[in-house]
Amino acid sequence: MSALVVDDADDSAVASRWAVETHGLTKRFGDNVAVGGVELLVPRGCAFGYLGPNGAGKTTLIRVLLGLTHADAGTMSLLGYAVPKHRDVALARVGAIVDEPRFHGHLTGRQNLQILAAAREPAARERIGPALERVGMAHRADDRVAKYSMGMRQRLGVAACLLGDPQLLILDEPMNGLDPAGMHEMRDMILSLVAEGRTVVLSSHLLDEVERTCDAVAIVDQGRIIRQGPILELLAGASLDLQVECSQPDQARALIERTNIGAQVEVGPTGLDLTLPAGTAREVIAEINRVLVESGIRVYRLQPIQASLESWFLQVTSRLGDTQ
Amino acid sequence: MTLASDMRPDAPVPTPVAGARDRRGSWIPTGAMIVTRFMELRKRRGLMITLVGVTIGIPTIFLVIRLLLHAFDPHTYGPAGGYDIFNHLVVVVLYVFGFIVAATLGCTAGSVDLTDGMFRHLVVTGRSRLALYLARIPAGLAIIGPLVAIGFTIVCGVSVFAAPTTLNYRGVNVPAGLSLPALENYAANHADQIVCGFPYNGPIPIAVPCPNGPFGGGPIIKGSAESGTPTQPTPATIKAQAIQIAQQDYADYSRFFLSPSTSLMIKTGLWLELEALIGFTVGLGLGALLGQRTVAVIMMIVLEIILTPILSRAHIPHFINLQRAVVGLATAHLEPAGLSVRIFGGDGPPAAKAASILVPETTFVAVCVIIAWLVGWTILGAWRMATRDA
Repeated sequence: MSALVVDDADDSAVASRWAVETHGLTKRFGDNVAVGGVELLVPRGCAFGYLGPNGAGKTTLIRVLLGLTHADAGTMSLLGYAVPKHRDVALARVGAIVDEPRFHGHLTGRQNLQILAAAREPAARERIGPALERVGMAHRADDRVAKYSMGMRQRLGVAACLLGDPQLLILDEPMNGLDPAGMHEMRDMILSLVAEGRTVVLSSHLLDEVERTCDAVAIVDQGRIIRQGPILELLAGASLDLQVECSQPDQARALIERTNIGAQVEVGPTGLDLTLPAGTAREVIAEINRVLVESGIRVYRLQPIQASLESWFLQVTSRLGDTQ
Repeated sequence: MTLASDMRPDAPVPTPVAGARDRRGSWIPTGAMIVTRFMELRKRRGLMITLVGVTIGIPTIFLVIRLLLHAFDPHTYGPAGGYDIFNHLVVVVLYVFGFIVAATLGCTAGSVDLTDGMFRHLVVTGRSRLALYLARIPAGLAIIGPLVAIGFTIVCGVSVFAAPTTLNYRGVNVPAGLSLPALENYAANHADQIVCGFPYNGPIPIAVPCPNGPFGGGPIIKGSAESGTPTQPTPATIKAQAIQIAQQDYADYSRFFLSPSTSLMIKTGLWLELEALIGFTVGLGLGALLGQRTVAVIMMIVLEIILTPILSRAHIPHFINLQRAVVGLATAHLEPAGLSVRIFGGDGPPAAKAASILVPETTFVAVCVIIAWLVGWTILGAWRMATRDA
């Protein structure tokens, strides 16, 4: 890694354990609050998903963090360095794609990277070749970007991120334009970057991809973060679906509703669909089975459905909508 | 709900290494930034073709055609070079079009990062936005400066090496570089030619038959007898009239040369480079300010082709000081005195007379106006670049 001068930066920068830290971060566009008092903590060395519906303020928060636009209130730091005060030192080890990656179309991919490397430290120029190799663009590096597909521009954007040997990568919708094979490669690359000790913040609509890639997530809606934490912990707080295939489903429904399990029960074509409250223990499933069998109902299949990030996301966002 | 504070990262914290200096926050651009910015501009094929075509191509094609015509038919077509050609190419082509192409390059350099979407990539590097802006100035000048110099060198070369052997003063072939007594002597020996061909401000008291009228027309009678009845003038009266005309025209004649002098070419070259510098710098600032190229280029063309000539010549009451702030007027006042064609002043009249057509301005004020435009537009462009949302 190249040397980095921290002479003017806070001493606390080195001690910080958060790759991204914001407190009360606010950004307004007129009367519209795009980012409202965001408290975000992104641990170092993990893949962090940043999720939210369209217009939730995901990209705006990223733009504020990177100094592409100014914040109206709040404090923030990247890799422990307060920004915008130590923006130059902080961004020296940050790579980012914001929105659709665009480049000078009349230049080749390599020449575009040369321009970006020139704005970084001298060692960045030596990283152009390896970065192109890593994103699988070495064979097209000397073609004009105007001839690139969307997916190739995404890869070039990631290569641009790698020029600074970043400790923190912020990728806004990096899967856009990628075919399934490209998405798979991108996922592997993100995981390999994390394995190297880097932090990757991934903003995406593709919840399945985030679930496969990220260790922790934050959900943002209407400019505010409504949930954040490790995915496994968050999903543990989600309700549990249970499919029960049995004889006499109507009688089975009545039996279950008389218990104190607190399940929501619906009768389906092949049996029952149960929704159990969050935190339901596995023993409850065995208890349901016992109640049905002892009542003379034959149980053919009893299958818990693992909560996915997508279903949890929908639960959370719909709850938010209900409260409003 | 899981709180943010519940998340406990275990990854090691990388420690920045002190040592080599990374001057990323400095406003001074690095050499690499300037070189890559130069490359980005140079690789714009359409723009470069336009720049080369206007600054080098137009004068070269014009001179090549004149060289060929003169080579094939020297009696009909005059020499390709010479002082007159130098004057016209400098003022009509290199000055006006040089400004426009320099401004086009500046507007492009000032806006393409935004329109191509590269600006945010560059900002994310943490590099000072001011340094990103300032890197464009030497990069752009490294393109437009040599182009103007090459075009001007070609004009100078042809003007000197293909200069005529006799001086054509207002359509009359006369020896070059004569002193006043020598010109009077020449006029006495070629009286008819002088009376018929040289301009004269005043009545000619004799009627002289001239072989060709204006534009090669038929014979005319120049002048008239004082009595109102044309009489045949004597050779002595024609000779006296010719000497009088030569005396009046000497000041103007003495400004005409077979070819431009070395000092005139140096001064003119520097003047053209100054004009290109102004065009590029103002275009760069305007392009950065507007964030797009097309409107900026149109505004620069309107400034150069329409507004500046009007504001430089029309003496508008109460607005005279505002007119003096027009940069085109300031550069017109810095035009080398040896040029016979005056910016905004037309062709022909002596320098002092042509200068009087322009809104008056001292050299000091002209220099101040130019510096103010250069600094002002640089500050405006840099300010917009530093404050713009990327």
